[in-house]
Amino acid sequence: MVEKLTINGYIRENGSVGVRNHVVVIPVDDLSNTAAMGVAKLIKGVVAIPHPYGRLQFGQDLDLLFHILSGTGANPNVAAAIVIGIEENWANKVADKIAETGKPVEVFPIEGYGDLATIERASRKAKEFVQEASEKQRTSVDLSSLTISIKCGESDTTSGLASNPATGYAVDKLIDYGATVLFGETSELTGAEDIVANRIIDPQLREKFWKIYNEYIKIIESQGVDLLGSQPTEGNIKGGLTTIEEKALGNIQKLGTKPITCVLDYLDPLPKGNSRLCFVNTSSAAAEAVTLFAAKGSVLHLFTTGQGNVVGHPIIPVVKISANPKTVKLMSEHIDVDVSDLLQLKTTLKDAGERIFNYTLRVANGRLTAAEVLQHEEFSPIKLYISA
Amino acid sequence: MPHFAVHSKEDNVGVAITDIKKGEEVEGVYIDDGSPGPKLIALEDIPLGHKIALKDIKTGERVIKYGRPIGVATKDIKTGEHVHTHNLKSIRWGTLSKR
Repeated sequence: MVEKLTINGYIRENGSVGVRNHVVVIPVDDLSNTAAMGVAKLIKGVVAIPHPYGRLQFGQDLDLLFHILSGTGANPNVAAAIVIGIEENWANKVADKIAETGKPVEVFPIEGYGDLATIERASRKAKEFVQEASEKQRTSVDLSSLTISIKCGESDTTSGLASNPATGYAVDKLIDYGATVLFGETSELTGAEDIVANRIIDPQLREKFWKIYNEYIKIIESQGVDLLGSQPTEGNIKGGLTTIEEKALGNIQKLGTKPITCVLDYLDPLPKGNSRLCFVNTSSAAAEAVTLFAAKGSVLHLFTTGQGNVVGHPIIPVVKISANPKTVKLMSEHIDVDVSDLLQLKTTLKDAGERIFNYTLRVANGRLTAAEVLQHEEFSPIKLYISA
Repeated sequence: MPHFAVHSKEDNVGVAITDIKKGEEVEGVYIDDGSPGPKLIALEDIPLGHKIALKDIKTGERVIKYGRPIGVATKDIKTGEHVHTHNLKSIRWGTLSKR
C-alpha cells in the first residue's frame, strides 16, 4: 500500500530531495580543519565539518573515509560544497564524487598557498555558493523521495516500552508513504539479531546480514574481550537496562513491522528505490551512526533516547524523542517530541506514533530541531583500524 | 494507575513506569493488549524504568522479557524484588570479559 503525501523540500540537480539547504566546507584531513573553520567564520550560512582523520589511512579504512566525506557533500541537504585538503589529489577524489550529483563543488589545496590564502580563495567561492543557494526554493515533493534514518541512544527501559515502539509506528507509516528508512547499530542487535535476520526476506541479503553481524562480533572478540563493560553503557544501566539482550530487544521495537529489503555494508551506496527498510552496518555510537546514515543519503534522523542523548549532525536535522518523564523534564531543551504520556499509559501507541510522524513532516518542511538550534553538529567518521 | 508494565504474558519481570517504594502494593499492565497484570508487594524500592520480579526466579533460571531470555539469574530472586546487574547477567556476553 503506497499512499501519497507531499512535503516542501529542495529538489537537487540529480532529482534527490533534501530538507535543508546547506553550503558545506569539507576538510579532507585533520590538517585542513583550521582553514575549513576559517571559511565558516567569515561567510554566513556555511557549515564546516571538522574531524580528526584523513592522513595515512589505507585500504578499506581510507575508502570508508572518502565514502563518508563525499557522501556528506553529495547529501541532498547540501546545495554546494567546498573541499579543502592539504594535498590536492585526495581532495579531488572527494570532490569528483560529489560532482557526480551535478551540484557545485570546488577544491582548494593548502600546500603552496598556506592557510590564509586558502581561506581567502575558498571564502570567495563560498560567498558565491551561499548567495546561489539562497535562491533555491522549497517545492512540493512526494514524501516517497525522502530517506530517513533511525537510531536510539542513552537508551533505558522507557525506550523499549514507549519511544521505540511509537517510532516504529511512524517508521511503518513513512514506508507506507514510500519513504526509505535506514537503521544500523550492528553490535547492539545482539540478543535480537535472529529477529532482524528473519525479517530479511531475500535469502542472499539475509546471508549478507549474518556475515556482517558475525564479522563485527568476531572483531570485538579478537581483542580478547566482549562488550560487557561498554554494552549496556553506564547510562543504560542507570536507566534500568541490565543486559545486551534486553537492550537489543528494546532497540528493535523502533523498526516497525515491515520486511527488511536492503542490507548495506560500510561502502555500499544506497540504491535508488522506495518504501524500504534498510540495514546499514554501523557502530552503535550515536554520532558515528548518524554520520554514516547521512553519508548514505539520510536527510532527517529520528533519535529516541531514554536517559538523554544530546547528539546532532552538521547537515541533517536530528529529532529527539523521549518517553522518560524525568529526562523530558530535566533536559527539556533537547527533546523535540515528548511521548512520556505513552509510558504512563495516558495515550495510545497510535497517538504517540502519529505525533512523531507529524513532527517528522514539520521538520522536513523546515522546522528546526532542538539539536540544530543548540548547534549540536557532531561529525564522526567511523575509523576501522590504525593508520600507517 | 498501574505501577509497572509487562511486555509479554510469558515474562517473569515487569518494568516500573513510576518510582515504586518498598512495601508498596503494586499492580501491572500488559502493554500488548492493555489488560491488567499481576498484583504484588514490592520488596524493595524500584526506580522508574527498573525491573521488578513477577515470580520467584531461581539461580540459573532465565529471566524473560519481551517473551525472550534477556539473561540468567545469578541469585535466587523473590517475587517483588528488584532485578538488575546484582542478580541478572547476560547469556551472550560475560565469558570473555576480563572485568
